Amino acid sequence: MVRALRWIVFAIAVLAMNFPIIVTLITSLKSQRELSTNPGLWISQPTLDNYLEVLTQTSRFNIYAYLLNSTVAALIGTGLAIVLAFPAAYAIARSEAGKRLVLPIVINLRAVPLIIFAIPLYMMYQWLGLLDTRIGLGLILTIVNAPLALVILVNAISDVPVELDEAAKVDGASSLQVMMMIVRPVIRPALVTTFIFGFITAWNEFLFGLMLTTSRAVPMTVGASFFFAASGGGVKWGTASAVMMLGALPPALLGLVMYRQISGSMTAGAVKG
Amino acid sequence: MNHLPDAGSRLGVRRVWRIDMALVTRAEGRMYLTPLVGFLLLFLGFPAIVNLIYSVSTVTFETLRSPVLSGFANYVAVLNDREFWSSAWFSLRFGILTASAECLIGLFLAIFLAPLLSKRPVLMAPLMLPLMVAPAMVGLMYRLVLHEFAGPVPYYLFEWFGDSPAFLDINNAFRTLVVVETLQWTPFAFLLFYMAYSAIPLDVREASSLDGASPFEIVRWIDLPLMKPTLVIAFFIRFIDGFRVFDNVYALTGSGAGGSTTSLSIYIYQAFFKEGAIGKAVAASVVLFLASFIVLHGLNRLAGRRKR
Repeated sequence: MVRALRWIVFAIAVLAMNFPIIVTLITSLKSQRELSTNPGLWISQPTLDNYLEVLTQTSRFNIYAYLLNSTVAALIGTGLAIVLAFPAAYAIARSEAGKRLVLPIVINLRAVPLIIFAIPLYMMYQWLGLLDTRIGLGLILTIVNAPLALVILVNAISDVPVELDEAAKVDGASSLQVMMMIVRPVIRPALVTTFIFGFITAWNEFLFGLMLTTSRAVPMTVGASFFFAASGGGVKWGTASAVMMLGALPPALLGLVMYRQISGSMTAGAVKG
Repeated sequence: MNHLPDAGSRLGVRRVWRIDMALVTRAEGRMYLTPLVGFLLLFLGFPAIVNLIYSVSTVTFETLRSPVLSGFANYVAVLNDREFWSSAWFSLRFGILTASAECLIGLFLAIFLAPLLSKRPVLMAPLMLPLMVAPAMVGLMYRLVLHEFAGPVPYYLFEWFGDSPAFLDINNAFRTLVVVETLQWTPFAFLLFYMAYSAIPLDVREASSLDGASPFEIVRWIDLPLMKPTLVIAFFIRFIDGFRVFDNVYALTGSGAGGSTTSLSIYIYQAFFKEGAIGKAVAASVVLFLASFIVLHGLNRLAGRRKR
């Protein structure tokens, strides 16, 4: 009895929380004609026409460009965040450096509304010629990702037995060698998790994409809204839905495959923050 | 030198060696921190200083590089701006309401569904899916969901009740946005609570159940007190995220609905990009920075007290 009730609550929760995704998926599979007569949750004649249109007619809005921009910027924003955070995390976990100032400040950064820095960054980017470039967007995404990367990596390195470092040290390894050749392979799973989680976060970022790009480096989250700009006959809901599904797919797939690791890193960030 | 394990002290010789050479010396530690710190100083420290200078200057897009110091006029303008206060009020209400709703629903789901999820962990995946989709994208999706002709929600409401409210007009937009935000981020609170709940040792619950405690009493007197730190942290994280909301509100309503959905972040964005009022936007940024600093300071002291 209670068991059945749990299943019902589970089903309602899943449906309610994923409702926009479900509706968008259904809409993306309806034909133009069906859309105008049937806004309901069933499809009488499923079709892939909307996806075909989005993927082939790219003269006005080129979805490939948005996908590529998001991919490149997210890769920069995640890779660079890890490259910067890993040595820092090693120093924090294995010495006194950074424990009192750097770690708390970076952790709190996660909770600071980044719009505070947006306007000077916009001006700075104008001077540096980084406006509307993938590199510029990637550098900002590094800032977005750095706090959680640092927390996850400090936790992971702290869990590695110090004896491992010491044994290598006795054999004459420098701390740089210990870091790169002993610690790095051991915490590989944490590095992968950080990467996946950072990639999802970066892909889903919107504010800086909106402010710092205009045409060449527009990411998917911003590009998707272009398809809502009414073009004569109002929004074409079928193609707009297909675009949203394609744009949401990469992070959703990564998340579904890695949900276990991600739930771990989310709580890690929260407990320390 | 902090890392001397007990085993080391048994071997006098090695111990001497260890005291001579820490795993990572102070200088090395600083060196490893430098890239991250340098990057943050360049991308956040420098903008913070620019913020402070520009907030007490007269500056336009034409005189961007030569701001003229002019005292606190920008701050006065911001603090006298009714729009600023209404957006601050929006953010505050939005943050508190969504954080409360997310934590309450998340807590219920975590405890009620725990028996189901502990046996089938894969059920977590569909519950976590909303967290993987960009909030801006979810905002766009709700444009479809709530659209009066193309959206299924108004369609079914008309079908069943003969009427459907205008979800995004001036009277309903705030409530709609609270529901949208809550539905997307309840999984986050749920996840934290479920982890905390699963970490409570089973024998604690079994012992109190043997003593005759009802399931409700166990939750009230055993589980909730043990989960209290997580509850506080989850509420604060969700409050901060709700307070600074931008993506889904901007994507769903712009700041439309007669300006009734302007959050503080959107206020700053519009002051800069739409009005070109750089001084005002920057002064509002500094005010927001101070506000979040105070909140974070309080939170850190709370966390510090708990550790002791």
